[in-house]
Amino acid sequence: MRRIHLLFASLALTVLMSGVADAQGWGSIKGRFIYDGKPPAPQPIAVTKDQQFCGDKKLVDESLVVDAKGGLKNVIVYIYVGPGDTAPQVHPDLAKQAPVTFDNKNCRFDPRVATVQTGQTLILSNSDPIAHNTKVDAFNQPINPLLPPGAKLPQKFTAPERLPARASCSIHPWMTGWIVVKEHPYMAVTDENGEFEIKNIPEGNWTFQFWHEKAGYLDTVSMNGKSVEWKRGRVELNIKDKAALNLGEVKVPAAAF
Amino acid sequence: MDSRVVLFLLLSTGFFLSGCDSPEADFRLDRVYIQKTLGEPENGEEVQALTTQLQNLKDVMVGLFGTPDDPHVPQLADVEVGEVLDPQLIRMAAGPVGRHEDGTPRGLYREHCAHCHGVSGDGAGPTAAFLNPYPRDYRMAKFKFKSTPLGVKPTHDDLRRILIDGIPGTAMPSFRLLADDEIDALAHYVKYLAIRGEVERRLVNLLTELDEGEPVLDPLVRREAADVFQEQLGMVRETVGMVVGQWENASAQVTEVPTPPEDWMSEESIRHGRDLFFGTVANCVKCHGQLALGDGETGDYDDWTKEIDDKNPALQAKEYLALGVQEPRILNPRPIQPRNLRAGIYRGGRRPVDLFLRVKNGIEGTPMPAAPATGLTSEDIWSIIAYVRSLPHEPMSKPEGHGIEYGRERL
Ligand code: HEC
Ligand code: HEC
Repeated sequence: MRRIHLLFASLALTVLMSGVADAQGWGSIKGRFIYDGKPPAPQPIAVTKDQQFCGDKKLVDESLVVDAKGGLKNVIVYIYVGPGDTAPQVHPDLAKQAPVTFDNKNCRFDPRVATVQTGQTLILSNSDPIAHNTKVDAFNQPINPLLPPGAKLPQKFTAPERLPARASCSIHPWMTGWIVVKEHPYMAVTDENGEFEIKNIPEGNWTFQFWHEKAGYLDTVSMNGKSVEWKRGRVELNIKDKAALNLGEVKVPAAAF
Repeated sequence: MDSRVVLFLLLSTGFFLSGCDSPEADFRLDRVYIQKTLGEPENGEEVQALTTQLQNLKDVMVGLFGTPDDPHVPQLADVEVGEVLDPQLIRMAAGPVGRHEDGTPRGLYREHCAHCHGVSGDGAGPTAAFLNPYPRDYRMAKFKFKSTPLGVKPTHDDLRRILIDGIPGTAMPSFRLLADDEIDALAHYVKYLAIRGEVERRLVNLLTELDEGEPVLDPLVRREAADVFQEQLGMVRETVGMVVGQWENASAQVTEVPTPPEDWMSEESIRHGRDLFFGTVANCVKCHGQLALGDGETGDYDDWTKEIDDKNPALQAKEYLALGVQEPRILNPRPIQPRNLRAGIYRGGRRPVDLFLRVKNGIEGTPMPAAPATGLTSEDIWSIIAYVRSLPHEPMSKPEGHGIEYGRERL
């Protein structure tokens, strides 16, 4: 019974949210993710292919990247749009999205995580003198083009992806990357310092979702010394006009990885 | 018990078999996908909520698609379902082996396919474990040998052709001797199982979008909250329509195969093809190997195996197998081998157009990539194919001057 009431509540919220989409106010959100514990030393990768070129690139496993101050890189943050919910209205500044490049460079993907909106161009490129293939295991639109040296292949995704889609290169099995596809531009990836910022979000209540490739959904974090549960990495937050919502430091326990 | 396996075990028992005493006459839920997507319930309350959701899922699936003995075709307002799934033909393929009252055959799928592909189309029939490659699990709705690009469903004719020719070099037999309408019936039934499987996966995804434990199209919801029920019904309908629509649109997306130039099999063309095969643009050598024996890159897995775990399927499978679950079986993960191109056996067909489609579009669900969109013309592809076709006759000496891993002069 309780669940059904919950359902009603979330429905009511949906209605509320779609109303907000017409609002004129815009705000932003930022924060910094911290690895709570002593991060393991980056493991060197065994280069089994193209030794001549890849061998001296000092490649390490980048599935967990933490800086000296604990900043956690590559946490993916986006506004979560549930089924039946309307996507957030797009700020005029974000209406035209420049192409995003997902490069094969020095035998790794650069960046490791790329975010694109449906319809936005993703350029799969190869800056190396050797060939790569980029296999993106998207649920709705899997692709696997071979990319010769110098290739620049424009690619568009038509449907949003629920989870970040894994990108790999079958020729160089150590290569891993992620493509995030959403129906709106409100996504970000934390940088070397663990920081992210998303600007120009319509004011109102939005559900944000947080994901990391090793931890999955970040469902247990701590803020201001208190442990917080984010079911499936989701939390509802209020964005106010002309204001920046600062989450401050969000600590992710080492046990989550 | 380790809480991480509660869900998996629940799904392994006959728990969700509603009202059928023979487990073989029931479609199994896709337990690996459910485990992977929904994760483990953390306490008793969550176990209970999840149990309700999964029972709901099972009921919804039966409502939409019926059972192996009594299949339905979902009714949709805005999609011509009958074009993709012909109910008459599906009834011919479904059910136990025998005849309908009017004398038409039935049970073709169980007679000819289920011992390999499984009643649910999970590729895990009783003989599956002994075969290499394993029989196809249709539920991901990915097919390898087709006339359409990666990510697009095969056409009805693609499936017919596979059934008529079989897949040489694998256990998949040719069904050339079956009557034409029986081939049609089986092709429709493969689509039925693939559509059913993909709808189930998408409904599992939908569960992650709902509040945890929220019932789905539950009779209780219908009574207590009719509008919520209607909303959920809308989502389910949309999902089914989307999946069926992909199959409906496949034939409009067939890759055009240009006619090969007249001299494509000439020695000069073969030499050109060989240069490309070893060059950095086409780069076939990286996977197929210096001698084209299929030993260039052998540590990768196909998508059906990565379903178990995309980083380390072998390890994850071991955990599942350690649970002692017998049915439905988890097949031991095996790395995928690039094809040995000296054997002269082509699984997707040996006609030049078959090879063109493989090289141009890649092979879905496997590491074999699509040819680069620029830098490789159709003529180039024909030359590569001419070279590939000449390989079984080429002496095995190491190809001179092609031993380099990449062109140093490019640096
Ligand atoms: C003896 C075992 C066996 C039997 C019986 C069998 N198959 Fe298969 N089938 C396979 C194997 C093995 C593969 C996978 C081949 C591969 O991946 O290259 C396969 C693959 C397929 C595919 C996928 C083709 C593609 O393009 O990806 C289809 C469709 C198929 N089988 C349909 C059927 C149908 C329908 C029947 C019954 C009429 C049937 N099979 C009977 C073993 C079998
Ligand atoms: C990233 C690795 C990779 C690259 C690069 C690659 N292949 Fe493959 N290829 C594979 C794999 C894996 C298979 C087996 C797929 C399967 O399970 O059917 C395969 C299968 C094939 C087949 C068999 C098709 C059939 O019907 O049996 C041919 C022919 C082929 N490749 C040719 C090529 C050519 C030509 C190139 C270069 C243009 C190439 N491959 C590049 C991995 C690769």
